Amino acid sequence: MTRTIHLSLDINGGRYDLDVEPRVTLLDALREHLALTGTKKGCDQGQCGACTCHVDGKRVLSCLTLAAQVEGRQVTTIEGIAAENGELHPVQAAFVEHDAFQCGYCTPGQIMSAVACIREGHAGSDEEIREYMSGNLCRCGAYNNIVAAVREAAEMA
Amino acid sequence: MTIMEPRKHGDASDGMVGGRQTRFEGNLKVTGGATYALEYPIEGVAHAVLLQSTIPAGRVTSVDTSKAKAAPGVLLILTPDDDLGLMTASDWYGNRPENQPYHPLPREVSFNGQSIVAVIAESREQALEAAKLICVTYAQTPAVASIDDPKAGEGKVMGNLTIGWGDAEAALAAAPIRIEGEYSTPREYHVAMEPHGLTVKWDGDQLTVWEPSQWSHGMARSYSEWFGIPYENVRLISPFIGGGFGSKGAALAYSAVAAFAAKKLGRPVKLAVTRPQNFTSYGGRAATRQKIKLGATEDGVLQAIVHRGASETSTYMDYPEQTGAATPILYKVENFSSQHRVVPVNTVTPGALRGPGKNPSAFGIESAMEELAYKLGMDPLELRLKNYADHDYQSGKPWSTRRLREALTEGAAAFGWSKRSHEPRSMRDGNQLVGWGIGCGTFPVIQAPSEAMIRILGNGRVEVVSGAIDMGQGTYTILAQTVAEVFGIPVDQVEVHLGDSRLPGSAIAGGSMLAGSILGAVHKAATAARDELIGLALSDEKSPLRDTGANTLTFSGGRIAVPRDQGPSLSLPELMAALGRDEIETRRNTLPDGATPQEHHQAWTTMAKVQGPTMGEFSMHSWCAHFAEVRVDEDFGTVRVSRIVSAFDCGRLYNPRLVESQWRGGIIMGIGQALLEEGLVDQRNGRTVNNNMGDYLVPTNADVSDIQVISVGIPDYGASALGGKGVGEVGIVGVAPAIANAVFHATGKRVRDLPITLEKLI
Repeated sequence: MTRTIHLSLDINGGRYDLDVEPRVTLLDALREHLALTGTKKGCDQGQCGACTCHVDGKRVLSCLTLAAQVEGRQVTTIEGIAAENGELHPVQAAFVEHDAFQCGYCTPGQIMSAVACIREGHAGSDEEIREYMSGNLCRCGAYNNIVAAVREAAEMA
Repeated sequence: MTIMEPRKHGDASDGMVGGRQTRFEGNLKVTGGATYALEYPIEGVAHAVLLQSTIPAGRVTSVDTSKAKAAPGVLLILTPDDDLGLMTASDWYGNRPENQPYHPLPREVSFNGQSIVAVIAESREQALEAAKLICVTYAQTPAVASIDDPKAGEGKVMGNLTIGWGDAEAALAAAPIRIEGEYSTPREYHVAMEPHGLTVKWDGDQLTVWEPSQWSHGMARSYSEWFGIPYENVRLISPFIGGGFGSKGAALAYSAVAAFAAKKLGRPVKLAVTRPQNFTSYGGRAATRQKIKLGATEDGVLQAIVHRGASETSTYMDYPEQTGAATPILYKVENFSSQHRVVPVNTVTPGALRGPGKNPSAFGIESAMEELAYKLGMDPLELRLKNYADHDYQSGKPWSTRRLREALTEGAAAFGWSKRSHEPRSMRDGNQLVGWGIGCGTFPVIQAPSEAMIRILGNGRVEVVSGAIDMGQGTYTILAQTVAEVFGIPVDQVEVHLGDSRLPGSAIAGGSMLAGSILGAVHKAATAARDELIGLALSDEKSPLRDTGANTLTFSGGRIAVPRDQGPSLSLPELMAALGRDEIETRRNTLPDGATPQEHHQAWTTMAKVQGPTMGEFSMHSWCAHFAEVRVDEDFGTVRVSRIVSAFDCGRLYNPRLVESQWRGGIIMGIGQALLEEGLVDQRNGRTVNNNMGDYLVPTNADVSDIQVISVGIPDYGASALGGKGVGEVGIVGVAPAIANAVFHATGKRVRDLPITLEKLI
């Protein structure tokens, strides 16, 4: 397969044009073609959550989404949630304050999931947060602190 | 060296050593700005993928690459037919076989899932597609699938792991109370969130490698030896690493393949090891088996421990997972015997995974101790305190510090252990059986020489530079705190540069040895830089502090001043400007004075200079006691860990916020080990069946509830220059037996083979 398709993607409010093979995933488009490497590849098979992005405000696994599927939709990645002046999103700030990560590799996916989890109204209790954040694995084991961070950010929201 | 007394800190913004400073590189990690190995924009990069063997043992007789070669975008295919011209590199200790060729894509297959072919193409998608078109033909030979394979046999005794004192067999025979158990743990895997892989680029005979690494200098050495180029020609870059847990301390076969391909093609190559391939590209924790016999008096005084253990290894290397590692040092016992065997099977050579040796070892002895407690009708806490080891009975040496008693008593108080009802199945909440259990853990204090550089810049910023690694333990943060304290400046005035083999050498980020080792060097270098600055400030004719008559200066609150004096004080940039200096640079290491360049190279690139826990006058270890509560559904046998309280003696904590995170991480990995994690082997062909994150289960957020961690340590200046002991490894050690003991207390069923899955309880 050598045919390429032209895509024009709306990512973090900006327009990105690229020519890729139709089988290129959104994750690989971000990381390999657009230098947006904040979104992480942990398994490439939809099991770990490290690649979580938002498409039209809803969380998706970008490793199981083709880049071609998101044309005409709004994609948000970890690079796009802080304020324009660089001020951290409340979830990002809460992750730093609560030490909700160690190696940092699952962190962008955790934060994108957390932002959506709060927006979905699924951050009402620690138990609910645990359940709705369970699609994002953290092998360093920062789960207690992730729950604390999401809870604090939800209370501020 | 001046040792600063530890001070009490409570303020979250406190940047001094021992303060709860937030993670130094935190903003980079939460914004996606931290760059990991495969994320560097490299012009013209080609993509490599691996093809792995589908038989457990035999020989590759042919590789048909004709269709793949014709596929779009394919640049190069490497097979066992290609002689890459590489030479075998040294082992970790620096021993190197002479003139031994190295074949990272071997013709002889030793395990299922061994990399045998690499395809390099313009894009990863093209390489993957072409790899599917390759047809490998094998001549298969008989194989041993796992330690459970009847053909595996008894294995071979590791002489250096046969230890004993007293007369254990006689004392056991004479003991009025005896218990005996056989404990087993399965293959377990690191599953770091960042998969392995690398990008390599040659410029002439200069090699740059972007690869996640727990040890930049040691891995750079492997590349130089494989390719026969000077060590100085290799630069390995790894400022951020997405978890390691023991898996990223060595350059591996695929690393050599990628570097060769880049050389052959004359362009950079990126090789991403897929998640399934990660399960066989390097070894996880070996499966283990242990038989333990304990003899005691009727009032619970241990008389003898007899331990016989075994672990899987590969057919081409003896790697022991030391099941007798914790057994001899947790309790006072006058008669002891331990032996460990390795059983070769057709697997990739197992490796170090968090708490190597100590972890499965503690599962054995800590399960057995509770079995003894129930046989005696004694509270398991009381049994442990009764047999408290006053010194190290194995080495005969006194402990440097051992606050395990405090860990047990303070942990028990925080947990509410006194409210326990002793009989199994005697605590219940509706249809849930509630159980409580204890597991103790330990990990030795290991030290290695390290080096660091300090640069005071004209603008007043201070740089600390080291090849050390931060894989999430907090190296950036504690180095910044150490320098901030020495210079009396805020942490944000410090810059930290890490993770590059061109930078000063460092202990590996493994074996819990990095913090204690590197901080000694950083503190020494920073103090020397400060002393040099003091010397200049008091002697340089341009210095406003010259005529004060002082013989030293204080560094505090960002100001440099004469002690107890109302005279002039200057900020760091003001003093540097007055002195007319752009930079003051010092470099210090913790090798003996007069070490030769060869000794430096050996110290940074091998394990030859590593100091073990009993090489001095003391026996030095971290200690912990875990208290676990489980709730077992009486009908379905499902186990939930409802809370854990763990108390640790890790000496002085350089940053309690980060230490607590590491402890929790170890405990959570221990929950996985107790209840979820198990590498499954197809006994027909030695294949790792569950080689992915959906089938090899690691704990999720919903699997983890409240965990309370407590520090009971005191500074141990025998263990390290600044008083800390190791933190990262010990957290997992003892968790699995605490949970297994709690499950027994809840259900009356003793599960001796991990993980504790529901079919073992119904």
